[in-house]
Amino acid sequence: MSHMPDPTTKAIEKACETAEEFTRVFYKQVDNSRHLTSKLYLDTALLVWNGNGITGSDKIQKFLMELPSSNHVLKTLDAQPIADSLVANKLSYLIQACGEVSYQNEDDQKPFQETFVIVAVDSKWKIVSDCFRFQVPC
Amino acid sequence: MPKNGVRIRNFRNNEHFEHDDRSHNNTRRVSFKPGTNKGKNKWNNAKLLLDDDIDMTGSAGGVPVHRKGFRGRGGRLNSPAPRSGHGMPRKKFIAGVLPWYQITIPHGAKHEKDVVLHALLSYLSPDIFIPHYYKINGNSAIFYVDDVKLAEKLFHADRKIVMSDGFKLMVIVRNAVPNVNVDAAMKEKMKLAMAKRYNAVTKALDLTKFHADPDLSDLFCALFRPVIMLVAIDIIAENIPDIEALNLNDNKLHGIEHLRSLPTKLKNLKILYIGDNRIPHIGSLEALKALPLVELYLKGNPLLNRFQDHDIYVSSVRKKFPKLTKLDGVDLPPAIGFDVLENVSLPPRQQSFLVDPAGQGLVREFLTQYFAIYDADSRQPLLEAYHEHATMSMAANYLTCDNRNYSNQRLNAYLSNSRNIMRITDPDSRRRYLRTGRLQVVSFLSDMPKTKHDLMGFSVDLLVYTPTMILLTMAGVFKETVTAGNPLRSFHRTFVIVPNAGGGFCIINDILFITNTAKKQEELAFSSGAEAAPAPAAVPAAAPDVASAAPAPDDNAQKMMLNMLSQQTGMNEHWSVNCLQETGWDFQRALFVFNQLNSEGKIPPDAFVK
Repeated sequence: MSHMPDPTTKAIEKACETAEEFTRVFYKQVDNSRHLTSKLYLDTALLVWNGNGITGSDKIQKFLMELPSSNHVLKTLDAQPIADSLVANKLSYLIQACGEVSYQNEDDQKPFQETFVIVAVDSKWKIVSDCFRFQVPC
Repeated sequence: MPKNGVRIRNFRNNEHFEHDDRSHNNTRRVSFKPGTNKGKNKWNNAKLLLDDDIDMTGSAGGVPVHRKGFRGRGGRLNSPAPRSGHGMPRKKFIAGVLPWYQITIPHGAKHEKDVVLHALLSYLSPDIFIPHYYKINGNSAIFYVDDVKLAEKLFHADRKIVMSDGFKLMVIVRNAVPNVNVDAAMKEKMKLAMAKRYNAVTKALDLTKFHADPDLSDLFCALFRPVIMLVAIDIIAENIPDIEALNLNDNKLHGIEHLRSLPTKLKNLKILYIGDNRIPHIGSLEALKALPLVELYLKGNPLLNRFQDHDIYVSSVRKKFPKLTKLDGVDLPPAIGFDVLENVSLPPRQQSFLVDPAGQGLVREFLTQYFAIYDADSRQPLLEAYHEHATMSMAANYLTCDNRNYSNQRLNAYLSNSRNIMRITDPDSRRRYLRTGRLQVVSFLSDMPKTKHDLMGFSVDLLVYTPTMILLTMAGVFKETVTAGNPLRSFHRTFVIVPNAGGGFCIINDILFITNTAKKQEELAFSSGAEAAPAPAAVPAAAPDVASAAPAPDDNAQKMMLNMLSQQTGMNEHWSVNCLQETGWDFQRALFVFNQLNSEGKIPPDAFVK
């Protein structure tokens, strides 16, 4: 198992900056160019959307396309580095994004929470797993 | 013209004593220099006494009290001679923006209401006006008409009618609506008048020309006044929320922006008649856009005049109300639309997801143990649950789309430690708010408010389940057990779990979000009883059949521990409860004690009889 030291300020700051950039790109894609969103996922990625599991970027793309058009507003963001040894020995981050989403056919804003694990693959950040939940069970 | 005719025009107010003093036996004689009182609202005593030759006979040196509020309106007062061509266009009627006109008859009080009205009606014949809210105010009679043409005719009737006493009837016309305060009594009257107009079979309410309802004749109940319309909507929403058809024809409605609340309050409203009003522009209908209207009546509104082409009018209205099949009484041809996803629904929610069913037992056990300790008096034992180099962070934020503002919604206990990197921007703070190493993590956790989690209500998602890593996200509610008011909180939390040296597992990343609960969450909190079906899929076997010996039924964590201990040791519930109680509901200790006693043969056989 890992014998890593506690992460440095620099490593932590890198995680935070990446999380900011990642969520900015991610929600922009989902809200405005959803047909391109799958590029952000690893081929083998897993999306769990309110308890519905979808594996593989193609299927994720199909699933996302069938959701009504959306507008996400981020209110809270947090990120941590994950030990390198855990995700394919690559730099990876745990990101938690919370905010409100409204859908085309509904007026109300739904609070949501979403947790990502992203990994650096060939100088691109890719989503390994994405867990999305509405706060209110309905 | 009466011989002592002091001519007074353009009264705004009551108490017109100067005129027609025969009826008052008043011996005062007052004359003014022309124009001295022009536009004055109040008497300026000194100036008045100096400038004007007032005959004070009978008024004992004081200023006549009745004169208060006497206001000339742009005309010269009391000039003894009739004037014409004096540069004052006194007979020009200007229509106002309000749909109502106030008609004041100075000295109307000395005549019977019937006499006054009969005189006016005869003069205007064959036109007929309906005098609303006729009342005497001081010496004047005041009433209202709701028609601009009749107001103009009344305006021109000024001093045209000679009454039986030889005086000409003065008529002053102002563009004004009666003042109204909606009180409980008025609301009740409106409610009764509306009930009378409601057809329960068709779920249709007819408020056509509501202000003219005979039951409301003593009230100024005009729906074009927003305050009254909003009360009417409230009455509808309170009493007949399932209303499907509403007729607001002929109510002089102008702006309807304040009807914005209609779509949310009357969700089933499909038919709306709002014709013969004064809605100026099609854009005004924007406020009603969210109504699922199938039938709409707009005829008789100025907005129609803006369209030269009727087809453009129809398509403009349909753009706002795409489900419309009937407009202005005419069936619309079916619109040719596009085959787009019009009403895409969201996929149904699942309580839990398991990437690998094999992980279920481990997840269940891990969460049960973790939260049993987390919710206990001391969180110190969680040291075992964290990796030596674990990192943990907590971010908190208010639930902004829920505007309930109870004092126990305050999240101060969390916000001061919240690592929301949208707010915490400086790298040193970002590092500091990230708790690293198990000591720091557990000491941070220990400082957070004491809790009780609704384990049975958790949604649990197992995203990664490999021999080297488990990624587990859980969300739900907890109660603060020591905080005053025991507020409920909503949380969302993710663990990265790795195997530890001792063959068990420990958390290496813990990221936690805390916010207020939504109303729905509060209703559901701690409600899934042991027998209730929708127990999380990840913890289904943990919903035990609880015997009478079981702890309090809302104590889900204890139930789960009890069931697990019973399963793992083979002891019956009675003995399992004993064992857990003796160890302060510390599952690991209970298991340890059991193993120790069992190996020493100290557990009696009947402990295993179920």
